[in-house]
Amino acid sequence: MSPMCPRSARWIRVLASCAALVLVSFASSGCRQSGTVSTTQLRVQGSTTIQPIAEMAKEMYEKQHPGVSVLVAGVGSSAGIEAVAAGSCEIGTSSRDLKPEEVKLGLVDTPIAHDAIAVIVNPANPVKGLTTAQVSAIFEGKTKNWRELGGPDLEIGIVNRDEASGTREAFWKIVLDKRPFDPTAAVLPGTGQVRFVVAQSEGAIGYISVGFVDKTVKALAVDGVEPTEANITDKSYPISRLLHMLTKGEPKGLAKDFIAFVLSPQVQDTVVRDAGFLPMGSEAK
Amino acid sequence: MSAGDDMERRPRVTLREAGADARTPSSAAASGPVPEPATLSTISRATYLKEASLKNLFLVCAFVAVAGVLLIFLFVGIRGWEIFAKVGVWQFLSGLQWQPTAETPQFGILALIVNSVIATLGGLALGAPLAVGTAVFLSEVATPRARAIVRPAVELLAGIPSVVYGLFGLLALRPIAAEFSGGLGFGYATAWVVLAIMILPTVAAISEDALRSIPEGIREASYAMGATKWQTIWRVLLPAAKIGIIDAIILGMGRAIGETMAVVMVAGNAKVIPEGIFKPFLTLTTVIVIDMPYASGDHRTALFGVAIILFLISMAFVATIRLISRFGGEQS
Repeated sequence: MSPMCPRSARWIRVLASCAALVLVSFASSGCRQSGTVSTTQLRVQGSTTIQPIAEMAKEMYEKQHPGVSVLVAGVGSSAGIEAVAAGSCEIGTSSRDLKPEEVKLGLVDTPIAHDAIAVIVNPANPVKGLTTAQVSAIFEGKTKNWRELGGPDLEIGIVNRDEASGTREAFWKIVLDKRPFDPTAAVLPGTGQVRFVVAQSEGAIGYISVGFVDKTVKALAVDGVEPTEANITDKSYPISRLLHMLTKGEPKGLAKDFIAFVLSPQVQDTVVRDAGFLPMGSEAK
Repeated sequence: MSAGDDMERRPRVTLREAGADARTPSSAAASGPVPEPATLSTISRATYLKEASLKNLFLVCAFVAVAGVLLIFLFVGIRGWEIFAKVGVWQFLSGLQWQPTAETPQFGILALIVNSVIATLGGLALGAPLAVGTAVFLSEVATPRARAIVRPAVELLAGIPSVVYGLFGLLALRPIAAEFSGGLGFGYATAWVVLAIMILPTVAAISEDALRSIPEGIREASYAMGATKWQTIWRVLLPAAKIGIIDAIILGMGRAIGETMAVVMVAGNAKVIPEGIFKPFLTLTTVIVIDMPYASGDHRTALFGVAIILFLISMAFVATIRLISRFGGEQS
């Protein structure tokens, strides 16, 4: 009995100190949190398409403005719009236009770049271009074999995006004219996964922002127009859209300054271009 | 000489007595005077407090586990029950159309249930024999050296995060399936292989425990009757460990039907019952992870409804294990 007492006492002491530690850390983290909610923090949330722009702009902005911290999160356009409307971030980013019910939330839209959606296939696929109608027929599940499009006798493997994707929304409106997608098509949650699967599978077809096309996949000409910068800027490439930054009411303070920074040439001509998008002023040139 | 004999005999006697004591403590207590165990009333106040507080600490631990289950069930239930009232339980369970964002939304999860069941059963059909075989190898066949390599490897499988299994399936298994079928490689076939590997450690570990708990004497009796190793394993040991192995398989089933991250990466996530084993499909768990980021209103409620169904399925699994254990216990 007596040899047990010191042991249990030690255990109690260990437990008590653990509890104390937990309490102290809770208390201190609480303090820190309430301390950081100030004007020096800017939260940018939304489209994963815009994330590379936002990340690079954040780094440059923080370097030029010491003491300011910009938090960037890629959560999807819908989530970004929801977040800025709810006030849980200062700037929401979206790769799609606002829906009518979202316009009512009092959000102000500043376009920051052009984005075009490329229809991508495996590099081994001999097909070079399709019409919008043909692309639509594929994604509606009406065309099943590449043979019908002048290609090899190969089953078409559709790679679709999940419904949270702004790219899917834009593609659905522009190409499918809001007709339903083939429900049996594969649905992948992310641009990278779509590109990877298309790069690996000979019969696959998918769609991603032109900014994310690389050598592992081949971007098709649509209606005879290649998705090149010139063709996107002069709007002859049919599958294209604008990228947006949204604020609750007119942008003010840090948010206004950050959006102005994103629209300035030092971001537009470098970061936006490097990410494969086109700068806002370029249609005027 | 005689002293040596005494010393040899005495330990044997005490051993036997100790064995009898352990099995029937009441008879030992009745046969002779035994020192009374320390009760809470006979010890000091400080020790009493420590003992009592430790006892309560463990009670709190158990309570937290129970409360966790209850709270999750309540939370999911409160968020999800409305969909049953709105759509109707039967409509929800038997509808083939999952169109939550259509202009007239439809919330039918039959395709998802069917997909979950087929994915799980296929994974079990591949994984369970493999796992039971591994358990037999570890407990009956392996030399200590082989066991020292295989056991940690199997245990390591259990520790790999499911998203890593998903990556493995997406990068390594899917292209093989694509090569084989001419499609994209998403589908039951890929998911079955991934799930089979994922349930292996769970089923193997519990099956091995079941095999090891069989008394050595039963093996010796079998060999004494002239049975070979194979006959002993197949005719004696596996039947003897049957209940434990069934428990293990049902636990594996629970893991397979609840698996999300690995499945979402290899399933292809098309909300239909696929026309073949190489076509994309969506399950009860993956619909939640795919739809939750953008779901709102009834759609979100419906996802909680799906969670309720998953909760009920896993409750059914646990109940089945308990029933089998009780039934098996009464039989033997």
